[in-house]
Amino acid sequence: MHIADGIVSGPVIGAGFAGMALLAAATMRNVEMDEIPKLSVAAAVFFVASFIHIPLVVASIHLILNGLVGVILGKRAFVAIMLGVILQSFFGFGGVTVIGVNAVMLGGGALLAYGVWQLRHYVSLPNKEVVFGALAGAFGIFFSGCVLALALVTTGEAFLVSAKLVIQYHLVLMVLEGAVTGACVGFLAKVKPDLLAGQRKVQAG
Amino acid sequence: MPLDIDRHAQTASPVQRWDPRIKLVALMVLIFATALLKTLPMVLLAFVVAAALLLLSRIPLGFVAHTVKWIVLFLLPFFILLPVTYPGTVELHLFGIPFAMEGVRLALLIVVKSLVIVMIAMTLFGSVRFDVAMVALQRLKCPSIIVQMLLFTYRYIFLFMAEMQRMDIAMKARGFIKGPNFYTLKVLGGFVGTLLIRSFERTDRIYKAMLSKGYQGELHTLVEFRAVPKDFMKAALVIVVAVALLALDLAGLFQIAEQSWY
Repeated sequence: MHIADGIVSGPVIGAGFAGMALLAAATMRNVEMDEIPKLSVAAAVFFVASFIHIPLVVASIHLILNGLVGVILGKRAFVAIMLGVILQSFFGFGGVTVIGVNAVMLGGGALLAYGVWQLRHYVSLPNKEVVFGALAGAFGIFFSGCVLALALVTTGEAFLVSAKLVIQYHLVLMVLEGAVTGACVGFLAKVKPDLLAGQRKVQAG
Repeated sequence: MPLDIDRHAQTASPVQRWDPRIKLVALMVLIFATALLKTLPMVLLAFVVAAALLLLSRIPLGFVAHTVKWIVLFLLPFFILLPVTYPGTVELHLFGIPFAMEGVRLALLIVVKSLVIVMIAMTLFGSVRFDVAMVALQRLKCPSIIVQMLLFTYRYIFLFMAEMQRMDIAMKARGFIKGPNFYTLKVLGGFVGTLLIRSFERTDRIYKAMLSKGYQGELHTLVEFRAVPKDFMKAALVIVVAVALLALDLAGLFQIAEQSWY
């Protein structure tokens, strides 16, 4: 879920850009030249995936998949999502003034998703890629919902009820995004496991 | 939804002729000034300014309308939500539900502001070739790595969009029907996975081709910018308007749309 221009207040806009600068500085250290195409590809896929619609009972919603970007790129996911958000604002969705807020919202979710994804090393399960992929997708989007709700509440008390609805909406999204991300990660783990971030070398024997 | 936002960059108009670097700065000032407005009359005035800019750029209105339509649809819930849920005591009741006019005012403020900003953004990026806009960003000291990645991503979007449509047709040809069930989600997961693998493998080839042509992580361009006094005058005009809007907004002449908004 994106936030559009014109909703959040000045301080929230400022906080968004400050947060984006901090996270970008923290996650972009030592970016190598050969990482540029990979990050761009992920950003473009993230952008394109938002055109995939899922029919729900009454309406259709589009995928966000910020958790999946986290699982694929690790900590560099923030940059890819930031790029996607910047480009979307050029096209007129998402909003120019809320680039910071959106980047923190979705990119922060991707970083959290990567954290969740890495926890799989501590567990032994038959299908742990699918399980942790799904968890990463679900927590990634839930984090975004929380940031969005926080941005609304700090803007003004008139948005209190809207913020509550946002959280409920994201609880539904958690299930959808989790299922798609889990299925996707399971597929990648079988077909091209080196695309996934944080893979450990398989021990011989 | 038009993805080639710079389709009308070659139209002859004062906005298209404006030096991209100066245009970027001036219109960004206007955008952020609009975002900070708190009173409805000033936001409506900003709407007039944005409409004037858009008309001046001679970008067809139908081109912009498509995007604007989505924004309005997206923000429509606020018109229902905010009047009904506005905090405090309410005099007016419709069918037993409290209905606050303050909520309507706030919703109107949000929607018009959103429209204004999108209109300015589309005037900005619609009136200059995308690659030229990116070079302008780089001249404005935006980190080179970000600019390059934006350029790559922009290029890939068209590629992957076409790829996705091809895959979509292939799925439909095999009888796949989207529905609200778990199976659809699983198939879509595989769909995204395939899209990712194809995209990564294709760009890997592109990257190797670039390396063999001497790419060393730098962006070279033949684009030259030459600012004339007229460019600065246009910028000065826009910035004066932006500051005037903000000043009138803060002057306390009009009612603030939400009191607890700071």
